[in-house]
Amino acid sequence: MILNKVLYHSVTVFDLITAALILIIAAVIAKVLSLYLRRFLKERIAKEHLEIIAKVVSYSIIVIALLMVLPILGVRLSGLLVAGGIVGLTIGFASQSIIGNLISGIFLMIERPVKIGNSVDIDGTTGIVEDISIIATTLRTFDGLYVRLPNQNVFTSKITNFVANVARRFQYVVGIRYSDDADKSLAIIKNLIEEHPLALKNPEPQAFVDNLGDNAVNIIVWIWSPATEWYGVKMELLWKIKQALEKEGIEIAFPQRVVWFANELRGWEGKRTEPRHPNLGENA
Amino acid sequence: MFGYHDIPLKIVQEGISLSVQKDRGSLVYKRDCLDEHVEKRLLATNGKILVTPVEPLNKPKALTQYLLVEFEKTLAIEPEGTEKIFLTFPIEIGVYISPDKDSEVIDILTLKRQKFTLYGDPRNGIICKYWKSDIFSTMPSVNPIQEGLMELTIANTNAQWVELTKAVFNAYGMKLHYSNTMVSMKASMNLKTRNRAETDFIDSPLKKGMKKSLEVYAARKMSITAPKFIMEFGL
Repeated sequence: MILNKVLYHSVTVFDLITAALILIIAAVIAKVLSLYLRRFLKERIAKEHLEIIAKVVSYSIIVIALLMVLPILGVRLSGLLVAGGIVGLTIGFASQSIIGNLISGIFLMIERPVKIGNSVDIDGTTGIVEDISIIATTLRTFDGLYVRLPNQNVFTSKITNFVANVARRFQYVVGIRYSDDADKSLAIIKNLIEEHPLALKNPEPQAFVDNLGDNAVNIIVWIWSPATEWYGVKMELLWKIKQALEKEGIEIAFPQRVVWFANELRGWEGKRTEPRHPNLGENA
Repeated sequence: MFGYHDIPLKIVQEGISLSVQKDRGSLVYKRDCLDEHVEKRLLATNGKILVTPVEPLNKPKALTQYLLVEFEKTLAIEPEGTEKIFLTFPIEIGVYISPDKDSEVIDILTLKRQKFTLYGDPRNGIICKYWKSDIFSTMPSVNPIQEGLMELTIANTNAQWVELTKAVFNAYGMKLHYSNTMVSMKASMNLKTRNRAETDFIDSPLKKGMKKSLEVYAARKMSITAPKFIMEFGL
């Protein structure tokens, strides 16, 4: 009978089919179980934890199936352990980048500098983390592009996680004219910040005259906001500050130069009403 | 305003205009409050409308489950003493249709200005809904449409005086009760050390005859495993 036909050593066609069946069943179980876990735990635990749990369960089932299948295929696990070092070395040389990505992936899952759903900047690519697999990390950039970054690159790159902390600070520089009342401007700005629900009460927002610039009195405004909301608050408040200041007659300064002429322009003689520059003297 | 209402319904009170009218086999819900206008068509033909105070966690955005009440003045508690004080807290108003075990809130509104704050540091702290309250030794009168009244029992288990400037609660566990004149809640605060306290809610009305609110998070069947909160970033 064909099922009893020996292929190599004592492994028959039946063993081969059994092994294949075990692997297929394990893959199906892994898939179904991870799907079920995702559905069952979706409302109960955070997305990043859910993904990790689903992957660990899925990979564990596959590994267990492989361990079951290997003896059926005539591979002795004890022999594998002895040969493991040599095989590992060979695999390591042959597939350095894959192993590198895999190890980096494991370390990323342990260290967790980024989580699924976080807004991050990795190696100059800014976006939202869609997935962290064992080999690569997937980002969706803010303009909707799919970017796959090998874990080795992610692990060795500078990572900025915009939402790792619960709150973050942003800043405006508001330049008002020298003729405007800075105290009044500060009061208007502070009042606007106080009225905005997502500008945090604590850490306390700050607004102060930072420097006397070439063209404006520069007011620095520091506002803390929930890390997930800061960009919306930043976009909204700046325009409100500008409108509120202008409503009170305070204008945003723009670059300007006062030019004093040593010799009066002929067409302007007699029309000038402002006093002359004191350094120019009467004969100027 | 609070309680069950038959359809059609029209409520106009303190800047809130709320109506539910039958229209071509379904219901039309309209609401105006401050600058906000909401209009919804409800695919239901009858039922009742429940208007009830709910946890102040939904407006303008459901960002947190914590409520921080800052005291107007610092409160000092004597060693091993127990004090009962009254505080105000913000409320939101939930509108439910056909309220029963599976009811879902159709709208939430509030008349009070909203503010968030950070309790703790930006790395480990938590975002909280912010409210500032005076401390009262007796029950003050408050506007039930805008504010609730909390009876807070503070127990100092330390052998030292403890100063308090705020109380933080896990508001998913709030136990609200209401009547025509008051929205109330009872809570406790156990001062573990000079910098650490545990807060919790007590499911009991402040006065007899008050009705239990249908809280949003209880109604959504969210599993609240620990309504207690440990204040570990200072008092």
